[in-house]
This record gives sequence, C-alpha cells and structure tokens, in this order.
Amino acid sequence: MINLAQRDITHSLGKFLTTAAGVGMLLGVVLIMIGVYRGLVDDANILLKDTRADLWIVQKDTLGPFAESSRIHEDVKNQIKAFNGVKDVSAVTFQSLQLYRNNQAIRVFAMGYDVGSFYTPHLLIEGRPLIAEHFEIIVDKKTGFKLHETIFIGRDIFTVVGITKDAVSSSGDLMVYFSLPDAQKLQFLSSNEQIRNDRARGNKDTSTTTANAIIATLYKGVNGSQLAHEIEQWKHVKVFTQEEQSTILTKNLIERSSKQIGMFTVILLLVASVIISLIIYTMTMGKIKEIAILKLIGASNAVIVKMIVQQSVLLGVLAFLAANLFSHTLVDLFPKRTILISSDALMLLVIVTIVSVLGSLFGVRSALKIDPASAIGG
Amino acid sequence: MAYAQPLKLTLLVPLEDEMKNTSQSVIKVEQLSKTYGKGENAVKAIKECSFEIFKGETVALLGPSGSGKTTLITMIGCITEPTHGKLTLDGELIYDQKWRISDTRQLRREKIGFIFQSHNLIPFLNVEENITLVPLMNQTNHLIARKKAKELLDYLGVGDKLSAKPSQLSGGQSQRVAIARSLANNPKIILADEPTAALDGERALSVMHLLKKLASEQNVAIVVVTHDERMIPLFDRILRVNDGIVSEETKQTP
Repeated sequence: MINLAQRDITHSLGKFLTTAAGVGMLLGVVLIMIGVYRGLVDDANILLKDTRADLWIVQKDTLGPFAESSRIHEDVKNQIKAFNGVKDVSAVTFQSLQLYRNNQAIRVFAMGYDVGSFYTPHLLIEGRPLIAEHFEIIVDKKTGFKLHETIFIGRDIFTVVGITKDAVSSSGDLMVYFSLPDAQKLQFLSSNEQIRNDRARGNKDTSTTTANAIIATLYKGVNGSQLAHEIEQWKHVKVFTQEEQSTILTKNLIERSSKQIGMFTVILLLVASVIISLIIYTMTMGKIKEIAILKLIGASNAVIVKMIVQQSVLLGVLAFLAANLFSHTLVDLFPKRTILISSDALMLLVIVTIVSVLGSLFGVRSALKIDPASAIGG
Repeated sequence: MAYAQPLKLTLLVPLEDEMKNTSQSVIKVEQLSKTYGKGENAVKAIKECSFEIFKGETVALLGPSGSGKTTLITMIGCITEPTHGKLTLDGELIYDQKWRISDTRQLRREKIGFIFQSHNLIPFLNVEENITLVPLMNQTNHLIARKKAKELLDYLGVGDKLSAKPSQLSGGQSQRVAIARSLANNPKIILADEPTAALDGERALSVMHLLKKLASEQNVAIVVVTHDERMIPLFDRILRVNDGIVSEETKQTP
C-alpha cells in the first residue's frame, strides 16, 4: 500500500520541514526554559555541595550567610573544633565583588576560606588550590581570566593560580576564591580615611578577624543534628546541618524564582501544545479536497486516519529533533547556567508525541466528517 | 495531442465473457427518492425515479443546474443515502429503504469508477500511484497493479506520464489519467460528473469518444452528467432530470 503520509510530506517537503523547524524552535525555547530552571536549582546547591561540610555555624538568630547577613568571630572555629565529633573546621567569608578585565566589569561571588583546612574548591580543572596565605586567587573559567594572570583587587594584586568550571553562587554569579585573610581584608578592612574617621569617633577596632560562617566536617557516624544542638547549647551561635542549609537555599531563597520559571515553562509548554495542535489541524484541513476524493474512491477511514496521524507524529518528532538542535546550539550563549538533560528531553518527546496524536485527533475528527460528495462538481 | 490507441489489455482487463452480456442490468433504480431537510424545510431533490442501465451502455444525465443530477449520481455511487426506494448495482441489492451493505466504500472501491469535472487527481501522488491506489486498497498485487496502470496509460495515450505529478500534466492529460484511475479497479460502472467541462471543444470530444469506446470495449456502463448538448449524439440513452423527476428522452436519429 502506498504510504500517503510520506508522499504528501515529500510533495511539500520544504513547507513541512519549515513547519517542523518553527515548532522545533518553540519547543527549543521550552527545553531552554526547563534548562534555566534546572540551572537555577542546581546553582543554588553547587557552592553548598562543593564545601562538603557537615555543619554550618552562623551568627545567632540568623539563617546564615546565603539568606541573611551573618557575622561570627573567626576564632569560634577553634572552639567548634574542640567539640567531640568535629573533624575539621574552616572559617569562611562570602561577598560580592566586581572584577575588571579589559575594562569589562565581571560580577563575581568571592569565597574566603582557611588555606590548609579541609575545604578546597573541588571544581578546580586547571592549576592548583590556594597554598599561600596571600595574593592568590582561584577564578571560574567563565570570568575569562587565565592561569598566572594578575588581577588588581582592592589594594592588592592577586595572581590566578587555579581555574574552576561551573562554580557559581546560589544567585548564579561566578565564584572566585581567596585565602581567608585576603577575603577578610577585602570585606572588613576599611580605607585609611575611614579608619581615621572611626578613630576620631572613638572606634579603635580595625580588626578584620571576622567571618561569615564556620563550616565543619564531622567524624563518620557522628549525628550532625545532635551535635548542632549541642553546639547551640554551649555557644551563642546558630548551627545548621548541610541538609538544613540546602533547604534554606532551595526553599527560602530560590523557591519563588524557580516557581516563576516553572510556571512560565508550563505555560510555554501549553502554548506550544496548542500551536502544534492547531498546525496539525490546519495541515489536515488543507487536505479537505484530497480526503474527500480518497473517501469517494473508496479509501477506508483507517487509510485516512493513518495518513493524518503519521504526519502528525513525524512533525512532532522532527520538531523535537529541531528543538534539541536549537537548544543545544544556543545553550552556551546564556549568561547563567542552563542545564539540558536527556531525561527532560525525553519527557518533552513523550509530551510532544501525545500532543501530536491528540492534535491529530481533532484533524481526524474533522476529516472523518468530510462529505465525499464534496469532491464531485467544480 | 495524444489519441487513444486500440485496447490491448489482454492480461488484466476482462473482456470476452462480459461482451456477451450487454443486456445485463448493472444499475437498477426503483422508486428512488432523496429528500433533504425535514418538515416544512424538506426539499425533494429526486422524486421516485426508476430506470435501468445495462452493461456497455453510455447514458447521459442531462438537466439544468439544481435539477438533481448530482444527487442522483451520488446516490447511484453509494455516496449519498437515498430516502426511499431501491437501488441494485451489478445484481446486488444495495439499498432498500436502508443500506443493505455494511461498507459502501468497499463497494465503490470494487465496482465503481469516478471521473470528475476537474480530474481530482491526488496532487501528492504521481500518475502511477494515483492509478494504483484503489487496486492496492483492494489488496491487488503491487506488480499487477503497476502493470495495469501502465497498460491503461498506454491505452489512453499518456503512457509517458507514469512518473509525472498531476501538476505537470495538461488538462486533457489529467482527464485521461483520471479516466485511467476510474478503470483501474475493473469497475462495472463509471460515473462521470461533467468530465469535459474543463476541456476545450476538441479535447472534450476526444474524451467523450474515449468514454464511448471504453463502454463498448470494456463492457462497462458509463453514466455521464453533462450540460453539453453537443455530446448527446455520442450517448446510447439520455436521462433528463428536471426538478427531481427523471425521464428518459427518446434519442433523435440523425
């Protein structure tokens, strides 16, 4: 039997491919939106996962440095380390910075940590971790800085000793890493004029030994929640487990943003579904006369339904392929991380196939109503 | 312009036995009526018409626009369901107050060929596929269907257009391909709706001669709806439809 769907497509191949490409671009936007959503959620946890800490000790009555302002004395780390079950600690600082490269401003999120502690950036792909206490910096690849390049930050010149890949903050800013003293200096050291001004006001404290949080790893088998509770009883601090900190990030900080993107994605998917259905319906309605002739010369409903459904599904599949090509081509152009994963693409394929079949049903319904007598005359 | 060549469909088109049965009724219409709408809005398109058409006959269906010709041809073609009466095709009772067969499309595929005013070839199929489509739907072997398509096209003088798309054919060529399609399923009846309306005088005459030839050579009954009074001499019989009433007209002998 002649494959009518294939013959019809071949007959107007350009039109069919253009339609598939158009629908594909629309679906590509859906894929990218899903990727943006994935990126947002993933970014929120990258830094947290990278620390590989078990406990986060932050300023009392705050949610920690990611959600609220948190300041804690650096030496608290020594007291924390004295708790039974604590393996290692590191004081950490976080701050937003603006770096300049070729007069282009690059917004980054800087983390300061104790060099030599358990923490080291695990996303390092080039160079080495920080070794010196001063004037070394690790930057993310997307900042554009190269290994051994020097960067003027604050009052000092830093040398790039390491490059990370995909290291971003919860807000998607690229990460850079300093030694704790350098980071403290950048964050807490006032300018000379400010110090003189403060002294005149009677404030003689120019200490920079403050951190935003203390992160700690525990020995295997130690109950993190129990130890957190114990630390809170003894110290004037708030302690979160890694899971609690992750919840704060994903639930409190990015929930609304992710819901916003999620909603937009769902709406986009609905719009795409309606458009696909309309295109398939219009495609079918464009063949009213041919369908009437087919019915008149005796073609069964099965022959007509097969033609419409085959075309619809093929359109859906081609559009899906175009969507993947489109989204993978554009994904790297997005300033924030956009994660395209195969399970999302597979889900989209299933949805597109269902939508194509459902969309074709409208066309089939109308096609079956076409009166074969309409082929007779003019 | 290509003219029809003598028919040489020795393998595929049955001829000899059927030639002997020219008096056999192929279409029998008894008190057939068609009413559109109901109650006060009811319009009686065909009013209790009765006639018979025999194998090998060419019958013209004449009448002004709106007289009911198309309704009658679509009822004979099992496309439109009559309201009352009886319809027998090729000896089989098709309609008697209701359809007596379950699949009218199968009947059309197997027994009826259609020729339309504007050829109505499927534009996305080439000439060969347009012709083989119905036989293939009837489960005819692909090779046999193709061979027959070739023979029919050769017979109709368009054998070189086998791979052409309908858009590449002239009006006359398209109508010849449409005629080939109508013959592809070895029909008992060919129903043609103004097959020459889109053709100029010479080509129209050529197509009518061809249909006449087919009727005698293929032993198939051909019913042609036409407005063209010039074609009347070519038909064996004339049925005139006027306001839903069908009457047989006596043919003037030249």
